[in-house]
Amino acid sequence: MTRRLLTGNAAAAWGARLAGVDYVPAFPITPQTEIIETLARWFDGGEMRGRLTMLESEHSMVTAAAAAAATGVRVFTATSSQGLLYAMEMIHAVPGWRVPFVLANVSRGLATPITLEPDHNDVLAARDSGFLQIHCASCQEVHDSVLIAYRLAEDARVRLPVIVNLDGFYLSFTREPVEVADPAAARAFLPPFTGRGIEFRASRPVSQAAAVLGGSQYSYFRYETHLAALQALPAYAEIAAAFAEAFGRHHPAVEAYRSDDAEFVFVMIGSFATKARDAVDRLREAGARVGLVRPRLLRPFPAADLRRHLLGKRGIAVIDQNLSFGKGGVLHAELASVLYGEPGAPLLASFIGGLGGRDFAPEEFYEMIDVTRRAADSGRAPEPRLLYTAGELREMRKLQAIAAVERHEDGAGKP
Amino acid sequence: MYRIRFHGRGGQGMKTASCILGDAFFAEGFEVQDAPRYGAERRGAPIFAYVRADRAAINERGIIARPDLVVVADDTLVTVPAAAVLQGVGARTVLLICSNDDAATWTARLKRDCRVLTLPAPAAPEAGQAQAGVGALCAGAAAALVGVIGRAALERAVAAELAAHGAPVVARNTAQALAAYDALAAHQGLVSAGGAVDAGARAPVDWIDLAAEDAAAAAPDIHATATSLKAATGLWRVMRPVIDHAHCHKCSWICSTLCPDSAIAVDADHAPRIDYDHCKGCLVCVAVCPSHAIRAIPERGAAGAVP
Amino acid sequence: MNEHVIHRVRDLPSAHLLGAGTAMCAGCGGLGALHQVYDVLGEKTVFVNAAGCMTLLANYPFTPFKGSWLYTAMASAPAGAQGVRDALDVLLAQGRLPPAEDLAPVVLTGDGSAYGMGLSATSAAIERGLDFLYLCYDNEGYGNTGQQSSGATPHAARTATSAGGRGHPGFKKDLFAIWAAHAPAYVATVIGAEPLDLARKVETAIGLKGPRLILALAPCPTGWDFEPAALVDVGRLAVNTGIFPLKEYRDGRITHTRIPRPRLPVEAYLSTQGRFAHLFSPRRDDAAIAAIQAQVDRYWQGVA
Repeated sequence: MTRRLLTGNAAAAWGARLAGVDYVPAFPITPQTEIIETLARWFDGGEMRGRLTMLESEHSMVTAAAAAAATGVRVFTATSSQGLLYAMEMIHAVPGWRVPFVLANVSRGLATPITLEPDHNDVLAARDSGFLQIHCASCQEVHDSVLIAYRLAEDARVRLPVIVNLDGFYLSFTREPVEVADPAAARAFLPPFTGRGIEFRASRPVSQAAAVLGGSQYSYFRYETHLAALQALPAYAEIAAAFAEAFGRHHPAVEAYRSDDAEFVFVMIGSFATKARDAVDRLREAGARVGLVRPRLLRPFPAADLRRHLLGKRGIAVIDQNLSFGKGGVLHAELASVLYGEPGAPLLASFIGGLGGRDFAPEEFYEMIDVTRRAADSGRAPEPRLLYTAGELREMRKLQAIAAVERHEDGAGKP
Repeated sequence: MYRIRFHGRGGQGMKTASCILGDAFFAEGFEVQDAPRYGAERRGAPIFAYVRADRAAINERGIIARPDLVVVADDTLVTVPAAAVLQGVGARTVLLICSNDDAATWTARLKRDCRVLTLPAPAAPEAGQAQAGVGALCAGAAAALVGVIGRAALERAVAAELAAHGAPVVARNTAQALAAYDALAAHQGLVSAGGAVDAGARAPVDWIDLAAEDAAAAAPDIHATATSLKAATGLWRVMRPVIDHAHCHKCSWICSTLCPDSAIAVDADHAPRIDYDHCKGCLVCVAVCPSHAIRAIPERGAAGAVP
Repeated sequence: MNEHVIHRVRDLPSAHLLGAGTAMCAGCGGLGALHQVYDVLGEKTVFVNAAGCMTLLANYPFTPFKGSWLYTAMASAPAGAQGVRDALDVLLAQGRLPPAEDLAPVVLTGDGSAYGMGLSATSAAIERGLDFLYLCYDNEGYGNTGQQSSGATPHAARTATSAGGRGHPGFKKDLFAIWAAHAPAYVATVIGAEPLDLARKVETAIGLKGPRLILALAPCPTGWDFEPAALVDVGRLAVNTGIFPLKEYRDGRITHTRIPRPRLPVEAYLSTQGRFAHLFSPRRDDAAIAAIQAQVDRYWQGVA
């Protein structure tokens, strides 16, 4: 086994290649495009068997992906940001088909304003769709998660599509050492897909995705999709254990870093969590008992694992790289819902940071722990805090001056 | 609260009936809720609409489970389970059926302890003509039975609901509504307002914990073919096509090919056969048969239509 | 396969594949066309359906199909067909699917999808050379929601969103020409009222590979306001007045399979439907009728 430098995009493509994917419906969008370009090259060169088809939109791409999955082949596709949103009708429609496939989403902030750098509002817009979600913090994790995602999606208890999420730029375009799995080992971990009754065949006609009339039937099918998503929790634990056994890397549903004896814990998802890991080490060196808890699975939500890791702590700094307008951080609300009313529930301090790829300074992590500590001492949760400095606002003012917003505001700019 | 359901077929004006009655209640100072039941309703298919009226604000919503009054525009629907005409009909429910059979006949037929009244059924349409709407008639009848709606309020409600269709339509429907209202004058106030479900002595709810089931069963997939044959769309029929085999030229294809519903097959001897379980009564076959060997007769009274 | 099995009306199937008992309206012209098309296509098909009236064909647990079906969405049925076709091709190429188990994907949409929301997905499927049949039941409006005007609504037709005295101000889009401009394998117009013409065109389509459109005018008693029994009359008048030309495109050439002689005046067709009633009553709108006639005349002048 050799390690090589790969971008997150290349790691995702390698995951798909090693999964023996049969079919890739594709559409380009920054910062995802390298994934489909890489796969296209491999199909052309014969390194992959099957077909890559360029669709004319992400909506069509996800339709084709699910339709091919419903026909019984192993399908991979990828998108990002506005593309995920353009596909959103189908993102919500196809989990109900109960067909497995994997979609890599390269997170990127949503318009408006349009931007290229990452945050998680795109993938969180798919939170309630029925797609399962695995969030990665490194290029190695991207590679590994694609293989794990297929086992999960195809598990008889689950049979739902899975999103593997990687942050744009910070993972997609960043090279890191990645141990690419040996093809035979990958095949042993993930045998070729046989359809297992998911099919369109002349001799076995089926009408898939039929309509219903009435809330009672609808409730049954929708709740079954929910129950299948919940069954992905035990299934994931088994699959992650099998992966660890085969490849020596363990990817639990919730990563807990130095949190066992911690008083205060960061909770966040995605690639910036490795910066939090670093901050934990520095804070520990400074004598603070701090840890990191990072959900890799966001759907299904690993409630029991999170309770196990977080109950009894003094305070949690929840860092949301997303923003639900008029409410705040999504992860904060999700976490509160599983901790509220539990004995030993910690104080939650909400921080919004990393919007559109805005970086975190190490000092900000330290400050967040101070804020959380003071709040825990006082017993009152602080107001949610946007990570945004006076210096940033000064720079913003300069830009606004160039954009002549003041003149526009008072009408003086008009002739 | 008054809870009233109108049952009929798509195209018979049940939504109009509920709107007219709602308007009339409202004009008399009631709080009102009226709505059609939306679904895959098509012309001829069983459909219903409902009205709630109360002196106090109405918090109840959705389908009326325990009606005080059920008005049936088309008596062929009464005993059709899919039409759910009798759902929730109890001892204090008044059941008004537009029918040429009398109330005693229906009471004997239904074997229910509800009070049954009848109004003469509207005349069957001519072949090729649409069934005329009877919404105003049904609303007029209901207005009389509840006993709290004046003749003038009813008249204004008909005019308000149908004004967009022009004066002749308003006049025809007003006459219909008032005739029904007057015909039931002897029963003014027969329908009384019902109460609410008692929270103190309620029936238990049998909630269950839904289990995760195999995805093949828990997806909306149909693994059988042509199961649509289990849907009795023959119930939609108001007019019935009847083949006169003595005049059939056995062309073997025209009626069978042009029937949009695949409801006419041709036997080995080239004789067409109509599948009455599914024929919706569009009468395309009547129109296209070159030898005029298919005629239309009213479904009401046709063999097997009414028990 | 260029051989037709269906030469005469007597060759038309007399037992029908499509199951009765669907939720379509009595006298539905779209269902009339579908049931004839299905008899020729057969059950080794997977219908990939877009949102429209026919969404309710497969209404759990009921389906009229003897073959397969997949519901997608209004905009992307051709992409669904792409996914199915691609997957079957991959399975065939890898020997994972016996050829006898192969299926033909058939996109089934109304005009709302075919002329509007689904046009981008359709155009792309054609440009990719997808081997599929597209069956459009064109009832000239968003019928399932109560007949609002669509890209297929003819000029002057009253719809739920063009209920004024002049009806729809726009003109019906030429979907046949849009398809033909892509140079696909086959494009044909059909109508249920002309079963032999329809069956022969579907047979021709089956014998070809690549993108193929069967565009069926679907007279709609509910949306066009006529008695269901008049379905076939209305359809024949659409053809005999020249308003709906029966034609096909193949190998770069357009052939009219029926040239109405004599061509009846358009009012013979318009006057059968409530949606055009304002052209005749309370006052006859000679100018509007003449304009529609002139447009039809111009079309046929261009047909050699």
